[in-house]
Amino acid sequence: MAARRALKAVLVDLSGTLHIEDAAVPGAQEALKRLRGASVIVRFVTNTTKESKQDLLERLRKLEFDISENEIFTSLTAARSLLEQKQVRPMLLVDDRALPDFKGIQTSDPNAVVIGLAPEHFHYQILNQAFRLLLDGAPLIAIHKARYYKRKDGLALGPGPFVTALEYATDTKATVVGKPEKTFFLEALRGTGCQPEEAVMIGDDCRDDVGGAQDVGMLGILVKTETRNVDGATIE
Amino acid sequence: MAPWGERLAGVRGVLLDISGVLYDSGAGGGTAITGSVEAVARLKGSRLKVRFCTNESQKSRAELVGQLRRLGFDISEGEVTAPAPAACQILKERGLRPYLLIHDGVRSEFDQIDTSNPNCVVIADAGESFSYQNMNNAFQVLMELENPVLISLGKGRYYKETSGLMLDVGPYMKALEYACGIKAEVVGKPSPEFFKSALQAIGVEAHQAVMIGDDIVGDVGGAQRCGMRALQVRTGKFRSVPAGVIYPPSFQGMTMFSFCFVLQSKGGILSKSKGSMWAFTVLYVVNL
Repeated sequence: MAARRALKAVLVDLSGTLHIEDAAVPGAQEALKRLRGASVIVRFVTNTTKESKQDLLERLRKLEFDISENEIFTSLTAARSLLEQKQVRPMLLVDDRALPDFKGIQTSDPNAVVIGLAPEHFHYQILNQAFRLLLDGAPLIAIHKARYYKRKDGLALGPGPFVTALEYATDTKATVVGKPEKTFFLEALRGTGCQPEEAVMIGDDCRDDVGGAQDVGMLGILVKTETRNVDGATIE
Repeated sequence: MAPWGERLAGVRGVLLDISGVLYDSGAGGGTAITGSVEAVARLKGSRLKVRFCTNESQKSRAELVGQLRRLGFDISEGEVTAPAPAACQILKERGLRPYLLIHDGVRSEFDQIDTSNPNCVVIADAGESFSYQNMNNAFQVLMELENPVLISLGKGRYYKETSGLMLDVGPYMKALEYACGIKAEVVGKPSPEFFKSALQAIGVEAHQAVMIGDDIVGDVGGAQRCGMRALQVRTGKFRSVPAGVIYPPSFQGMTMFSFCFVLQSKGGILSKSKGSMWAFTVLYVVNL
């Protein structure tokens, strides 16, 4: 086995690793200060479909974490990065609160479809519009494919079923950009100029954080904070 | 390919798909496909048995037949094999009480069904009624059941209306399958039971029948698996670049009208008189 190269980039998961809800994980602020002291590029990464970078920044600053906006990378950022690379104009089926992360991307006369958790967009007319675009060759980008999530009134359909519906209707496959997909980690590293072999992922989710990172050749470090994946699947 | 006469040998009955073959549905009762009214008339005037075999599940048979008759078609309710009545049969046999994820237009077909305290979900081509709310209701019903049963009227991917292509029941069936981790039971084409009941209704054996449809999987594939011959018409949802051809049709690429001409002039089945010369293109699908 080849010797691991020196570490140049550190990806840190947010929810469950740096903070839990509105409380910092004990010792996390200290740990971050020490990380800053080392000469590594740091990125704060998370799956989200409705929090823009600005929202996340505000929450983290309130917890007294010293972080700048361009160090944050979310599944929405990954989607945006993909859109820019493919040079396409998306039909955005995402929560309104996620729209700021797509500012500057042209959305008129769309030739791509982006789907996040957005129940208000999952009715027949909108999905039919998306379907017709896809049939004409537009790429389908899914922030994630969660089957359902928890609401006050019980379980509710996530974006996964509707992505599956469109995949079946058009006989195509969506590119899923959230953790643990390879796309997520590769896009997160793209901005750092580091190779996966020079990077480490620190997270609390065995499958989504560590497993996903290892699949692209990164080192993965599992922290032992107990958490429940909010997209309706418990970590066993 | 073998000559026409051979390929049509022994045909005694024809199963006709409706949407995409007879007419395109849409605003104002839809539009008849050119030549199809006359084609049906010719078939009915011949010795061939005719049965309409449709997956239409957005409207009742009465409404569908009414619309088609207004367009000039010779068709009656008793000649139609449709999925809703077939589903009702199954629901009664198994003591199932459904949450109906359907369009109001077909609700009358379920009048005899108990829908209280649902222990299954029936999903049909609900069209505009595929709201997030309704989908979520169906999902919640299924997740509460120890033994979730999902009955789908067809599994078509899409169909053609006058305004363009429309998502059919299939994608929404797949959505619920994925969300709940279950498999749906399909009532309607391409399920073999459905074709068999249509054949039984006209007393024709599979090897003596031809299915005419626009859906390569639902109509052509399904019919051929039952031992029938099948024609894929180039109207309706037919696209000249089919996504993944799996079932080479026995005949392809004509309108229903020109196929009936073929039956007439080449098969000598419809009448003894020779028709006038027609130029028509036949697309042969290469077996992949």
